[in-house]
Amino acid sequence: MHDRITQTFRGSHVLTAVLVAAALAFMLVGIANNDTFYLRLGTEALIFAGLALSVDLLLGYTGLLSLGQAMYFGIGAYVSAVVLIHTQSFWLAMSASLGASLLAAIVGGIIANQVRGVYFALITFALAQVVAKVIYNTQSLGSSDGLIGIPVVDVNLGVAAISTSSPAGFFLAVLTIIIGLYGLTAWLLNTPFGRVLIALKANERRVPFLGYSVWRARLAAYVLAGAIAGISGALYPMLRGFVSPELLFFSTSGNALIAVILGGVGTLAGALYGSIILIVLKSVISTYTTHHLIVIGSLFIALVLFVPQGLTGYVRPYIVAWLERRSTRRSNDQKPSMPTAVVLKRDSS
Amino acid sequence: MELLEYIQYVLAPQVLNGLTVGVALILVALGLTIIFGLLDVLNMSHGEFYAVGAFLTIGLGAMGVNFWALIVLAPILMIPLAIAVERFLIRKVYDGADRHVTTLLVTFGLALVMEDVLKLIFGANPHRPENPLPGASEVLGIVFPHYRFLLIIVGAFIILVISYIVYRTKLGSMVRAAAYDRNMAASLGVPVGLIYSGTFAFGVGLAALAGVLLAPIYSVFPTMGRDFIFMAFSVVIIGGMGSILGAVVAGLLLAQISSLSSLFIEPVWTDPIVFGVMVIFLMFRPQGLFGRIGHA
Amino acid sequence: MMNSNLGRSMGALCLALGLASQVMAETPIKIGVVTPLSGTYAGIGQPIRWGMEMAAKEINEAGGIAGRQLQLIFEDEEANPAVAVQRAERLIQVEKVDFLTGTVNSGSTLAVGQLGERNNTLVSTTVSYADSITGERCSPNVFRVNARAEQQSIALAAWLAKSKPDARVFYIGPDYEMGRSTVAAFKAKAEQYGLKTVGEFFAPLDAKDYTQYFNQIRAARPDVIYTSVAGNDTVRLFSQLAEFGLMRDVTMIGSAGVITSQNIKAVGKAGDGFTTGTGYSPDLNIPENKTFVAAYKALYKQDPDTFAADSYGLIYGYKAAVEKANSTDTDKVRAALQGLSWSTPQGTKQIRAGDHQGIQDMLLVSIKDGQFNVIDKVPAEEAIGPDVCTKF
Repeated sequence: MHDRITQTFRGSHVLTAVLVAAALAFMLVGIANNDTFYLRLGTEALIFAGLALSVDLLLGYTGLLSLGQAMYFGIGAYVSAVVLIHTQSFWLAMSASLGASLLAAIVGGIIANQVRGVYFALITFALAQVVAKVIYNTQSLGSSDGLIGIPVVDVNLGVAAISTSSPAGFFLAVLTIIIGLYGLTAWLLNTPFGRVLIALKANERRVPFLGYSVWRARLAAYVLAGAIAGISGALYPMLRGFVSPELLFFSTSGNALIAVILGGVGTLAGALYGSIILIVLKSVISTYTTHHLIVIGSLFIALVLFVPQGLTGYVRPYIVAWLERRSTRRSNDQKPSMPTAVVLKRDSS
Repeated sequence: MELLEYIQYVLAPQVLNGLTVGVALILVALGLTIIFGLLDVLNMSHGEFYAVGAFLTIGLGAMGVNFWALIVLAPILMIPLAIAVERFLIRKVYDGADRHVTTLLVTFGLALVMEDVLKLIFGANPHRPENPLPGASEVLGIVFPHYRFLLIIVGAFIILVISYIVYRTKLGSMVRAAAYDRNMAASLGVPVGLIYSGTFAFGVGLAALAGVLLAPIYSVFPTMGRDFIFMAFSVVIIGGMGSILGAVVAGLLLAQISSLSSLFIEPVWTDPIVFGVMVIFLMFRPQGLFGRIGHA
Repeated sequence: MMNSNLGRSMGALCLALGLASQVMAETPIKIGVVTPLSGTYAGIGQPIRWGMEMAAKEINEAGGIAGRQLQLIFEDEEANPAVAVQRAERLIQVEKVDFLTGTVNSGSTLAVGQLGERNNTLVSTTVSYADSITGERCSPNVFRVNARAEQQSIALAAWLAKSKPDARVFYIGPDYEMGRSTVAAFKAKAEQYGLKTVGEFFAPLDAKDYTQYFNQIRAARPDVIYTSVAGNDTVRLFSQLAEFGLMRDVTMIGSAGVITSQNIKAVGKAGDGFTTGTGYSPDLNIPENKTFVAAYKALYKQDPDTFAADSYGLIYGYKAAVEKANSTDTDKVRAALQGLSWSTPQGTKQIRAGDHQGIQDMLLVSIKDGQFNVIDKVPAEEAIGPDVCTKF
């Protein structure tokens, strides 16, 4: 598909590429300094960026505000933790988490997708509360203390193995996974199915008239988002060696939401940027005051009121325009006498 | 145990307790549903206004203000804050395309800020104002505190007054008209902007009032705003957004469910049950029991 | 020529060594404190901070630990284990602290303890009282100087059996693992002494209204009610019990966390008569405590509580261990801490080598007019339970 939306995606890709470059540079600096803390902090930021990604998929593209994505993140984390404690296999943990979060998202999706809009937000919120409470009271899952003792494992890639305790190595592994999730989501949104999702946000009532099932599209989007959150969650115990019920609480979902708004709704890249900025912001503010929520809450309100498109949303149009200039310039060089319309038709696939 | 004894010594006290909880829940949910019904705004910061009311009791009480005066004073003091929030936060995002989402986000951010401000001013520890009506009496074998009796009476009175205002006065009909069709109401001379601000102030004022009334028995602490969120939203959904009768019926119903269920099942399952009821309603009767204010 | 060169290099070497040892002597010993400075437990984080800062100030004024100044670095853990681990890692990797402490809830202590184990750093808690921390989930790098739940239970049960041998006991707890296990542990000991259980219920955490359970209490007609609620839940439970007249002719007892300096004011008159087994009370009448209380009051204008006292004691314990080991090396300090006896505001404490649990005399404390009063004492050896740690 090649239309206006594809071009905006190209803009997002540029922004993500910049982020990846910066991340790699950050990693090299970390290796040079023999750093552990900052690399692992960065890894944690990336893991939560995955959660933010799932929120943005729903909010920014499908038009669904989910206030309970942390539930799938937490389910992924707990399943991964339990599997790792018993088998020490990275791939088994990841597959199990993927399976569990898919299952949970299907059930959750069937429940939540009966309704739209504000009711949807409330249902996802309540669902997350209920599940969090159940886990909080389950003794075999460590109850309120959570589970510790998740071992350090190796990510076995066949030709090489990366230990989860290696700061730079695991940072790279998580970066790859999260960018992979980004790429998968972006690719999906560029297909006809993805366009249906975007249509849902634009005008849901019209979609059935175009021949598509609203319910099925929304469920698919919700399940995908749940899976993304679950995969991201699975990485958390590998990094920190423990899981606790706080991962499912509303504060985690809330943080992801703030990250998405901060970074820019509906750009996917915004979720990544927003997560990183939020973690940095929180660390900085905490050194000055314990009342960081006043600052972050006010910032959040200001963004929603005045800069609703967020950071990347603000920057992206410029990048898209720049890309457009480059492509028309290039095609003008190749075929100087061809009218623009014909050129564009040739380009579409 | 004999059936009569069971009713007198086991069921009746539970029902009475459920009534107290129900009245409290209704007061909080009423404000929420009125704001939802009229302004089409889901106020995520509603719980924080409830907390502010309770903290006003502590703060002003420490300065010597009488508790009974606070019942009237607290909602009045909320008015400037409420009008500011409505005019500068909610109205700004009101005309956007995804109004539901943006108002939810704005009020969510507001809730974060309000909770932290309360913590900043009053500290993290709990407080509790003295019970203004201590003592309990035994009636028909049931021991019941005086203050809770008062709570039920005052709560019921307030609910009746509100119903009267909304359904039988000119002011009420203006509010209902504005809820039904904003532009039409405006063109008929209803001062819609004023009504919006006023209704929002009224809704959060109710929450603050609930905070004052409940402070002596439920204590006061910065995260108390989260106490009622889950239940209040459930009441709004099950009762029907914007429906006063719905809020009353659903509130009493849910309160009784949680009160009586502790007789038969583990208390931790109460929330999932309420959630289940909410989901069933959303699936089969999404407008709730009684539909929407102005639209009934 | 060569001689003067040699002389010059020798001189330079001596100067360098001299400077190095000066620098060595002046690098401070760093203790990282990851504690809730915001959030629900901020009220506990504050006495921890004050107790530790006062100890550090006294130690530094007296010349430091083995000649080196002591530096405390504080981080806010927001009562969330995920944040605690993140901040603790910063303290270990970036600030390169020699020792970690400050965690309050057991989840944070366990997670930070595991981090300490994986990073060759010693960790101690001064507040967490979950038995598992020095029990089934013990760790060679984790220590605890405050009394654990079992010590509190033993002391309280012993006192109850002595003062009310025929009591009928009703149990109330918050419905989560810690709340239930605390009640279960005390119930087991009470029943061992022959005290009768007449009923129990567990209410959800953050329950607003306990009145729906009061029927059960009325039906059971207990003499004693034992509870393990805490924080806001305590305020609600106690004020509602008083409201309904259920406290008449009933002795309220419970775990040490039920009423603390954080909620005692809010509990108010309903708390009078509440008795618990705990490790500290500001009116403890021994000379070490009198000095401690006077100094604390002068500095912070209020009485210290158990969190302040235990945290203050920890700093002195660490000082004693480092001076005994003559090093801050993890293995040497660990060896020094095991079996260490030192003086604290609660008298002499000893760290049991087998599970790193602090052993001390336990106090029976009762509340009257909003103040804690010591009413009895249980000696250290009686109050400490068996060593169940098998990991080292």
